[in-house]
Amino acid sequence: MAKIIGSIGTSHVPTIGVAYDKGRQADPAWAPLFDGYKPVAQWLAEKKPDALVFFYNDHATTFFFDMYPTFALGVGERFPVADEGAGLRPLPHIKGNVDLQCHIAESLVNDEFDLTIFQEKPIDHGCASPLPLLWPHDPDWPGALVPIAINVLQYPLPTAKRCYKLGQAVRRAVESYPEDLKVVIVGTGGLSHQIHGERTGFNNEEWDHEFLRLLQFEPEKLTELTHADFVRRGGAESVEQIMWLAMRGAMPEKIRRLHLNYYLATTTAMTLALYEEGEEPAQAAAATASRVPDNATA
Amino acid sequence: MNPQLKGMEEIEGTYAFDIRTSNKALKLNRFFWNMIRAEWRDRYKADPEAVMQEAGLNDTEKNLVRTEDWLGLVQYGACFFVIEKFARVVRKTNLEVYAMMRGETFEQFMATRRVPESR
Repeated sequence: MAKIIGSIGTSHVPTIGVAYDKGRQADPAWAPLFDGYKPVAQWLAEKKPDALVFFYNDHATTFFFDMYPTFALGVGERFPVADEGAGLRPLPHIKGNVDLQCHIAESLVNDEFDLTIFQEKPIDHGCASPLPLLWPHDPDWPGALVPIAINVLQYPLPTAKRCYKLGQAVRRAVESYPEDLKVVIVGTGGLSHQIHGERTGFNNEEWDHEFLRLLQFEPEKLTELTHADFVRRGGAESVEQIMWLAMRGAMPEKIRRLHLNYYLATTTAMTLALYEEGEEPAQAAAATASRVPDNATA
Repeated sequence: MNPQLKGMEEIEGTYAFDIRTSNKALKLNRFFWNMIRAEWRDRYKADPEAVMQEAGLNDTEKNLVRTEDWLGLVQYGACFFVIEKFARVVRKTNLEVYAMMRGETFEQFMATRRVPESR
């Protein structure tokens, strides 16, 4: 049977992709971000998962508002990386696994998550920004993606609780897949940021760390928040953190954090976290609320 | 009223993009969305007025596009995530757009950031 071996939370800021393509990995302004991905890339290289289930959002690229799905799952052996107005990126097409994607889609719909299915569509920076930092891609990606797009653009969005339940349903779907595959769940977006209106540039580091603490130890509390609560605390576009809750829902009750990188350079608190099943040492748990973030710039 | 958005109106400088807004500004947002196609971008650059006309934009919308009034576009009902596609076409970075939405120069805005050299 397939098994979930861990999970990752990651930002999907488009400028990460731009900086990556321009080779700015060693640039002092960008190194704290790129270096922060190395331990997670190393963990993936060691664990060799067959597939990543990616909870991400489309940025009105693959889909337009004339037909905008609340939840959509991609099926296909390949997905081109989208042109978002600046031309094509030098990345191989994202790889899929049709049998696994179809199984997860069937399981989710039978579990009352009535998804849209998309095929032969390009995928934007929601997946393509963090993916090359996590997985090597020369000459090709080492595994398959199961892209699950969540509407975080056009209200009404699915609630935080609904996203958490989607994650739980994805766990049931993965664990009922007959082949012995290793699967990692990825939740993308955030953390605090606002990129529209006069409030653009809003951040809230205290909330970011409280969010990370709640996500790990008391995720149910986050499921009680409204979208307006997320917007007030973390900025308008931070509402996309409901996708981290989908990731959390796919994980068991007790998880430990193997890595955290938190880097707020300009407008988005770019965050990367790696989790495995297990108990966090009590001391570490107590310290989490007040800890100084790794790589934080004071 | 969507109960998930209760209290949103009290958050200053923030414009929730919901289906009512989307319905009102669909043509404008589609015009921007089409910028992901090289053919549309090239035609726009060659003859902006003709492409805006073809997209069915009204005079208010056309003027917001002509003046690259980023805050005005958001207030009118454009979604930031299609605006940013248009920003690429008119050679503006997101950081430059952010500064203009705040009513600041680029350097003023960057001076408020943690790592101003990250651009």
